[in-house]
Amino acid sequence: MIRVENLKKRYGEKVALKGISFKVQPGEIFGLLGPNGAGKTTTIKILTGQLLPDEGEAKIKGKDPLKDREKLRPVMGVVPEQTNLYERLTIGQNLEFFCRLYNCNLQNIDEYLRLVDLLDERDTQVKKLSKGMRQRVLLIRALLHRPEVLFLDEPTSGLDPSSADNIHRLLIRLNMEGLTILLTSHNMEEVDKLCHRVAFLDKGSIVVMGSPEELKLKYTNRKMKVLIKNGQELEERILEMDSEESARLLAEWIQQDRLQAIHSCEPTLADIFVMVTGRDIT
Amino acid sequence: MIINKGRIKAILIKESQDIRKNTNVIYMYLLPIVLTILWERFIPGMPEGFALGFGLMFLVVMAGMYVPSMIIAEEKEKKTIEVLLLSPATPAEVFIGKGLLTFILIIITAIILIFISGNQLANLTLILLATALTSIFSIFLGMMVGLLAQNQMATGVIGLPVYLILLLVPQFAMMGVELMKNIGRFLPTYYYFDLLRLIIEGKGLGEMHLHLSVLFGSILITFFVLLVIYNKRGIE
Repeated sequence: MIRVENLKKRYGEKVALKGISFKVQPGEIFGLLGPNGAGKTTTIKILTGQLLPDEGEAKIKGKDPLKDREKLRPVMGVVPEQTNLYERLTIGQNLEFFCRLYNCNLQNIDEYLRLVDLLDERDTQVKKLSKGMRQRVLLIRALLHRPEVLFLDEPTSGLDPSSADNIHRLLIRLNMEGLTILLTSHNMEEVDKLCHRVAFLDKGSIVVMGSPEELKLKYTNRKMKVLIKNGQELEERILEMDSEESARLLAEWIQQDRLQAIHSCEPTLADIFVMVTGRDIT
Repeated sequence: MIINKGRIKAILIKESQDIRKNTNVIYMYLLPIVLTILWERFIPGMPEGFALGFGLMFLVVMAGMYVPSMIIAEEKEKKTIEVLLLSPATPAEVFIGKGLLTFILIIITAIILIFISGNQLANLTLILLATALTSIFSIFLGMMVGLLAQNQMATGVIGLPVYLILLLVPQFAMMGVELMKNIGRFLPTYYYFDLLRLIIEGKGLGEMHLHLSVLFGSILITFFVLLVIYNKRGIE
């Protein structure tokens, strides 16, 4: 669905992308992770035909986002980082405008508003909406014309957990219906929850790519945290996964009915980012 | 160039919904009406058609340029222009759609001004033709200012000198200031103001060829430059 080959972009002296390459398969949720200034938004802007790369190639369904933009516009949905709704207009007027531009069915509006619990707010002016509500409007605006691929730039940045969860559930549902999604984020939990594959972007380069599970297994320290009863107290023990001694101890604690919990000590994506880049994502 | 009427209509509907809640813009159409009434009714000894001429010039230059420049600059400032850039709408459709409401409102306001000034009804068609052509030029120029300005505040910095030159030079030229006449010959609004004079004096179309040609040429040039700027800005 999306193919990026050796993409390079500079803004004057500042290098935004140093030659990144990746592919996104149809029906996949792919996450570009990285701190501010890593090149995530630049990549989205090139893929959506808003920016020309200096070198390299970006293709969506085999087509160039800029040269073939007329063919690609109906295929793509874009949720930008900054809320760009018409503030003086109501939610309904904003969405009707978009529907008319794309010549899509105006009845889609109520269907999607119901999906994100905003049908009762149809006639509310955008300037009176909370950030979470605006983000939901942005998301359904990008979906009204039923795109095949959705680009989301920091979709839940600055949202409260409930609003973010609302958006996550909708994205998972849309993906299950076949929508391909490329999202950028610096929220590792969000990416872990949503993405089939992720790429860590740092200073314009992809430093690691794979599924969250693959990455966690690759960078695991192969240890586990065990909680056992020790009289009336709970004791925490760290065991090696590949040791016979660990197996013996576990069997013993099970027989003695002392074992309370076992957790694998796999790293989070944030831990892996620090391991790979030597610095925190924030 | 294929123009999609549906998309132009979409932009026109959106603009008309938006303008009802935008008092700054509404004032720009009310101001020429108020000024024409003042000149017509309260300033004695005004030559025939003078108040109408000033009112129309003010309308075409200030509303025609200021309104589109503010609309475009606001779209840039609030990043809503990305919605249009990412939509199937072509640059030509965007500018026609955005300019159409300003154009329609200028024509309606011009008719009101003609009625206020009272005795020009016989010249209605020619005055409206001249006003229509000049307002198209003004709208495109205003959009250009909007595209070049970083935000709404900056439209004043870039636009005001242009508006003042286009508004005042023709008027000083008509008062007989030689330097202004020489400068004015390069300005479409000079030909518009002179065209109004010819129409009010009852002259025929035969004497207006140069004026109309200049206005047509100005429209084509500004539209072409506007598309170039939009395409360049759009991919930056």
